[in-house]
Amino acid sequence: MTAALTVARPRPSTFRQWWVLTTRLVTPSLRNGEVLVSVGSVVIFTAGWYIPLNHIMGPRSGMSSYAQFLMPLIALQGIAFASEAGALRASTDAVTGISRRFESMPIAMLTPLAARTSTSVYRCVIGTAAALICGHVIGFRFHRGLVYAVAFCLFLILIGVVLSYLADLMGTTSKNPEATTQWLLLPQLIFGLLSVGIQPAEGFPHWIQPVVRNQPISQFVYVLRALAGDTTPGAGSVTWPVVGPSVAWIVGAITITVPLSVILLLRRP
Amino acid sequence: MSIADEDTKPDTKRGSAALLGDAFPIVDRRFRENSPRLLGPNTWVQTQRLLVRLVRDPLTFVFGLILPIFFLVVLNIVLGDAIRLVTGHSALHGSVPLVTVGAVMGGASVAAVGIITERADGLLARLWVVPVHRASGLLARIGSEAVRVVVNSFFILCAGLVLGLRFEHGALASLAWLCFPAVFGIAFAMLVMTVALYWPSTTLVEAIATVQYLGLFFCTGFVPLDQYPQWIRPVVQHQPMSYAVEAMRGLSLGGPVLRPALGTLLWSGGIVVACVIPMALGYRRASMRG
Repeated sequence: MTAALTVARPRPSTFRQWWVLTTRLVTPSLRNGEVLVSVGSVVIFTAGWYIPLNHIMGPRSGMSSYAQFLMPLIALQGIAFASEAGALRASTDAVTGISRRFESMPIAMLTPLAARTSTSVYRCVIGTAAALICGHVIGFRFHRGLVYAVAFCLFLILIGVVLSYLADLMGTTSKNPEATTQWLLLPQLIFGLLSVGIQPAEGFPHWIQPVVRNQPISQFVYVLRALAGDTTPGAGSVTWPVVGPSVAWIVGAITITVPLSVILLLRRP
Repeated sequence: MSIADEDTKPDTKRGSAALLGDAFPIVDRRFRENSPRLLGPNTWVQTQRLLVRLVRDPLTFVFGLILPIFFLVVLNIVLGDAIRLVTGHSALHGSVPLVTVGAVMGGASVAAVGIITERADGLLARLWVVPVHRASGLLARIGSEAVRVVVNSFFILCAGLVLGLRFEHGALASLAWLCFPAVFGIAFAMLVMTVALYWPSTTLVEAIATVQYLGLFFCTGFVPLDQYPQWIRPVVQHQPMSYAVEAMRGLSLGGPVLRPALGTLLWSGGIVVACVIPMALGYRRASMRG
């Protein structure tokens, strides 16, 4: 009894805890089909939009090929599927009670969140890689050189992390993992389809064009398209008027969601 | 919820037992357990139970109504003009059937999850030791799916009518229109149930969604057949959803109905024939082994 009391208290290292919690999320993702589902979704999405619409939309896109036009949307869908997988994981953790168990252990309050965020970076890298491979197969190419290609990937992963953060927030606060993923399909469907990723804004009915042009996904598509470049001038150029709105959307999303999630996570149940 | 249903069962099932005050239920043993006379009432009670479950599950509405109707509206905004330019007709003649068939397929996952969780909870085993007709459990599942499929198709048809779909050949054609998602939907639900009996995993929901999306993208209701590349046209043309969509398009717009209708019936009949024996065996196995 007294011997137990005199033993020095362990001093857990926050860094190692973060690492353990991250590997806890990353390791099973290869076995439980998480990676398979996100990569498969990207493949189905690419085939499902490119093959039927290439003939009908290709000439209207105003670019060298429909693959070049569609690629930003494929890439964004890739990270959207990645963030959905993250929401499912966060929701499952919340429902099965492991999150509350962590709260009762000597772990810093935000370490589990940090681990989930770093896992979402990993998922977004996989989603980006899958999207780039799919894009390459249908004929997408980078036309502006290595620096812009790297910028394309980094910008995509940045959007992915912000999106995962939002999805994580929804997943942690929801009670039903299966329903969460189904509900997340709805914004993905609406924002993805009503964007300039499928066809130029002029192809939409007049009344909805302002929405289509200015919603965040369209703005991201403009930036990604400019970063990828094209043989025709249809891709646009990397200038502040093109990049500015996207940066504003991302900064705005971060300034709202980070304090919100900290409040929600620090609130005692 | 399932336990509450169990408790109320003797009240509603007049055929074999009645509850008198707080006494033990007096079991009516005029008919044997597998008597054909009991099949009807026993199936009806269980169908009611499954329908109540369906209506109380929010996912029924997410899969069956909310996602499909949003998809229909968005699809009409995005592709409506382009397809009207190519075909000369409203895109709704293809997209409303497409979305109806897709919704009917997606809704099957609720029943699949139901059968998986009830098996895990032991409810299937519990029903197996209750003196009800052996065939009633399975028939009730098919029956409740049939009701869901018809009601679901009707609501999406209404959404299509609101968006501007018009039947050139009168109201009778719209009744016939509803038969195609119903027939194919029941066949698909039987397929899903059979798979759920042998592969009880909730990953099945994702698998169903994958099949559903692949079917939606590679279907003549999405874009006309001649817009697909040559090499994939045979697949697009002869997959079951395309047959159903073509028959429904024929009914609303005019055009050949008999050939695609026969195609739908052949596909659905084929699925039913292939599934019926494995499904009966699988249901018995799932009920007996828990």
